[in-house]
Amino acid sequence: MTPAVGVDPGEHAALERVWRDRTGLWGWLTSTEHKSIGKRYIITAFVFFLLGGLNAGLMRAQLARPENGLIGPDRYNQLFTVHGTTMMFLFAVPIMTAMGLYFVPLMVGARNVAFPRLNAYGYWVYLIGGTFLYVQLLLNTGPDTGWFSYVPLAGPGFSPGKRVDTWAQTVTFTEIAALVGAVELIVTIFKNRAPGMSLNRMPLFVWAMLVMAFMILFAMPWVASATLFLAMDRLIGTHLFNPAEGGDALLWQHLFWFFGHPEVYIIFVPALGMVSEIVSTFTRRPVFGYPAMVLSLITTGFLSFSLWVHHMFVTGIPELGSSFFTAASFMIAIPTGIQIFCWIATIWAGRPRLTVPFLFILGFVVTFMIGGFSGVMIASVPYDQQAHDTYFIVAHLHYVLLGGGVFPLFGAFYFWYPKITGRLLSERLGRWHFALWFIGVNLTFFPMHLLGLRGMPRRVYTYLPETGWGPLNLLATIGAVIVVLSVVLFLVNVALSRWKGSEAGENPWDAPTLEWGTTSPPPSYNFAYVPVVEGRSALWDRSPDHPVVTGLRTDMREVLVTTLLDAEPDHRHRHPQSTVWPLLTALSTGVLFITLVYTPWGLVIGIVPLTISFIGWGWPTERDHQEQLREEAAA
Amino acid sequence: MRTGRTLIDVSRLPTATFGPRDMMWWGTAGFIMIEGTTLFICAATYFYLRLNFGTWPPQHTLRPSLLWPTVQVVLMALSNGPNLLLQRAARALDLNGVRRWVLLEAILCVVFVALRWQEFLSLNVRWDANAYGSIAWATVGLHATLLVLQALETLVFTTFLFSDRIEEKHFSDAYDSAFYWYFMTGSWVVLYVVVFLGPRFM
Ligand code: HEM
Ligand SMILES: [Cu+2]
Repeated sequence: MTPAVGVDPGEHAALERVWRDRTGLWGWLTSTEHKSIGKRYIITAFVFFLLGGLNAGLMRAQLARPENGLIGPDRYNQLFTVHGTTMMFLFAVPIMTAMGLYFVPLMVGARNVAFPRLNAYGYWVYLIGGTFLYVQLLLNTGPDTGWFSYVPLAGPGFSPGKRVDTWAQTVTFTEIAALVGAVELIVTIFKNRAPGMSLNRMPLFVWAMLVMAFMILFAMPWVASATLFLAMDRLIGTHLFNPAEGGDALLWQHLFWFFGHPEVYIIFVPALGMVSEIVSTFTRRPVFGYPAMVLSLITTGFLSFSLWVHHMFVTGIPELGSSFFTAASFMIAIPTGIQIFCWIATIWAGRPRLTVPFLFILGFVVTFMIGGFSGVMIASVPYDQQAHDTYFIVAHLHYVLLGGGVFPLFGAFYFWYPKITGRLLSERLGRWHFALWFIGVNLTFFPMHLLGLRGMPRRVYTYLPETGWGPLNLLATIGAVIVVLSVVLFLVNVALSRWKGSEAGENPWDAPTLEWGTTSPPPSYNFAYVPVVEGRSALWDRSPDHPVVTGLRTDMREVLVTTLLDAEPDHRHRHPQSTVWPLLTALSTGVLFITLVYTPWGLVIGIVPLTISFIGWGWPTERDHQEQLREEAAA
Repeated sequence: MRTGRTLIDVSRLPTATFGPRDMMWWGTAGFIMIEGTTLFICAATYFYLRLNFGTWPPQHTLRPSLLWPTVQVVLMALSNGPNLLLQRAARALDLNGVRRWVLLEAILCVVFVALRWQEFLSLNVRWDANAYGSIAWATVGLHATLLVLQALETLVFTTFLFSDRIEEKHFSDAYDSAFYWYFMTGSWVVLYVVVFLGPRFM
């Protein structure tokens, strides 16, 4: 790795020596560097997107014509369950967290995340959980009760066997990973910002990540409790959801949706942050109405917690309740409307460059609007009672999730790929990718609105010719084929550009945020001198002889900790070494959780390795490492 | 270093701080929020399930006994005294004080875990008897899990504190573990009222 422009080579060598990972496989397994973890996190989540897509492709193939015999009912149940679970728990939330874990430290001018070992642990736990789900699917024992596994269907009475336990435990793994990631992001943002980056100068993406992290903190425990209770009902015979013994089936729905609705916004809020960064960069002006943008993000976060009941309109909740939740569901359109208005104002005033990231943002606005319209429709109780459990819902949820999540995400990939790899993605392939993706998505999901209106229920593995649903289903399947083509193009682009893409340099887009102020890819220590921020658009606003921080040690890992509000330098913090304990602890966690699927004794079996790895992790050994390093340096 | 630019020299800044200035404190606060929310959900579920029954506890179910749970909750409440002293000693960088109070904490942790066993028995209902038993066990059990983890951590930390490798930042760690202690004991006071006293007036 060569030092960035203006960095003293001696200093670079010193920093590189203390910050870089060991080489080879061992280095990879023990890495606690946020970029290394972030990169594999992003790739893993994307692989799960491809796997989830594969499930979807199989479902679309089966539904292409009436009475198709490709996939039977049992397999189909597993496919939609694993598809939904993958997309929500193994792809959407993790990839948003992962983007944060990679970019937030760079955007706030830090050397790493706040707790690097915890960060590695989160990744490994997530990987184990996801792998477990797919092993079960391949063994034909995948979960089959839908991505929200309602009881009593998912209870011990109607779902014997281990399928639902697999589902519950997979979700538990992802909860842990998400919670760990959230704590990571919050503390990094609160305490590791570069001097001068007061809260009101934070990039909007960082704000979005902060809001997302808090939402995870308060939403995930609900699904964690739900899955824990479900596992207990199934494994040790508790009756939390069993009406015969005073338990309550509706309790499941409350617990699940108190998480499930915010979940959608956990995916959507970071996407909003991505849109803001991209709009700002390609119009070359700060986003109009910064305070309004920040307030909208925060309001969205809050409001999303008051909406869960709109998923339960058909359960016979009281009328007044329904009206309240209908009103609340309309209200959440307001902060989103404000943000869209601010972006339009920014684009209006600037001169937008129609690069591929920008195209995906335009695609996001169109697609998400359609999802918003159908959302407003089903927010009204009488309509929802008609559309409930039909393909209208499937259409709506995909417009919202793909429009509000995946479009911005692809934009973000094109935008940040050069920072991660040092090379730009091809714009020409990118345009094709965008065009096919946009057409494919709409062709797949728009017909589903009509299918829903014509009465096609969701989660059916086939239908009769007389229903007349055949042509629209065929259309949707053709759309899915186009989606597949577009994603293949994207993969080709990623692979080709990795070797042949044009060199990016530090800041190919002339973007304003700090991550563009270091080499691409950034060195192990991110910034040779911790930058000092002089305005909201860090790189655009900085003076020619901008100040920097000196005095952090270069003979050991040391980071600067700043104050929460104004990011004034406060103290220095010794940063832990890379270690294998997070991996071992994650493996022990895996043993515990997976044996628990099969027997309550898993608790006893699993506790031993977990305790050992806990001790190994907790035992402070840093000083030995530091001394070793110093001795090496002296020799 | 290039010349002509302003340099902000941080080499004189301290390497250990306490409370909200410190990163670890915020990490602890984050986990307290997560665990607090989870315990809150248990309590909410407890009240929610109450609505499904005419009487609470349900018919043919004994009320919880109060002796051991009350001993536990009083001990936990009292333990906050030494806990405060631990925080003071940590701030004063008083190694002997920290050792003394952390050792006491470790002992208390073991006592708490042992008493927790008694508390399960004091519920006087099996987890698989009815939904009442299930949620009572779930609530006490969840807090027990946190308690066991805390005990483990405290034991490791105590052993370490008696080694000769103490640095300034470990005082901050001691301070944070005391901070977590307030949460553990405080949340238990609330849950004790819900689970053990609740059945007497709900
Ligand atoms: C882009 C290609 C995709 C295709 C072709 C696709 C296709 C489908 C189909 C056909 C179903 C309905 C199955 C049924 O009810 O019988 C479905 C359900 C679902 N999809 Fe997708 N999907 C795609 C992407 C996504 C993404 C990106 C997400 C989330 C981020 C997602 C989340 C879901 C969820 C949550 C369900 C409900 C599962 C359930 O009913 O339990 N999908 N998808
Ligand atoms: Cu919702």
